[in-house]
Amino acid sequence: MVDKLWKNQQKGEWLRLLRSGDHQAFSRFIDKYKETVFLCCRRLGLREDEIEDAASDTFLAAYKALSRYAGQSDLSTWLWSIAYRKAVNHLRKNRRQWQLEEQLNEQVADERQPEMAAQLQGEETEKVVWEAVGRLPRLWAMAVILHYREEKSVADIAKIMGAGENTVKTYLFRARARLKETLAAAFGADVSDKYI
Amino acid sequence: MTNIFEDRFDRMLGQALHRHREPAPADFTERMMKAIERAEQQRILAGVVLQERLALAASAALGIAAIVAVVFFPSAVAGAFGSIGRGLVDQGGALAGRIPQALAAIGRQWQLYAVLGAAAAVAIYSLLDLLLGDRLRTA
Repeated sequence: MVDKLWKNQQKGEWLRLLRSGDHQAFSRFIDKYKETVFLCCRRLGLREDEIEDAASDTFLAAYKALSRYAGQSDLSTWLWSIAYRKAVNHLRKNRRQWQLEEQLNEQVADERQPEMAAQLQGEETEKVVWEAVGRLPRLWAMAVILHYREEKSVADIAKIMGAGENTVKTYLFRARARLKETLAAAFGADVSDKYI
Repeated sequence: MTNIFEDRFDRMLGQALHRHREPAPADFTERMMKAIERAEQQRILAGVVLQERLALAASAALGIAAIVAVVFFPSAVAGAFGSIGRGLVDQGGALAGRIPQALAAIGRQWQLYAVLGAAAAVAIYSLLDLLLGDRLRTA
């Protein structure tokens, strides 16, 4: 309880510093969230040379908008929505609309079959799961990452992706069914009994 | 988190995705902070340039307005300046007429004015000392 209070107090102080434009606090902010922003840009299918530009745009926009951040949504949800918008803008800049929609909905072509998980443990399981998520259509993969990795609610995911809550639920439902199928094939009967 | 499915599979999926580390350049933070500093400097510079342009535009507009007034409404301008001039001369004359009276009044109550003058001198010295103290002492 005391720990939680102390953490909340520290978080409050950090937020106050961030809003006041403190450079050291913002540097900590980048360190804490850069992985998240790169993940968002990479999962949406930006090219490697576009990823860093989109990440820089995201943090610059966050720096400018922080003084107006009212704290109504979680800081990471707020940053995710900026990163998502910037990444989609970068995609839009270099692709026609139909190409963009196709890219966001396409199933990433990867003919490799995940290795049988009968021999898999720990990090290898993570790799297989990650590869299976990587093969989902990009918007489904984004919803899965936000829900399972970032622990966001459906309402927050809808806010980040600028989609309706029912659309997000559909993405998650379909993605989950596809992942169950793919991972059952990858893990083999004995392991899939354990998990699936 | 409110997981909308919640079973063994979801737990396994959550754990596996949590363990994933996304690669990001190690020096990204440093480069980003430099970019932010540059952006801030540019913002300040843009503000100064805007102020200067506004001042220049205002002085140009004022000059043009004066020229337009002299060219198109010469009689109105002459009338306005004439009345300002006459007003100044009248006020100056009235003020000059009051100087002997003021001197006579000061002469009658010179002790009071001497004390007020000394207090004013001390106040001015204190103010100067407060604002420019170091420079006054080292000069």
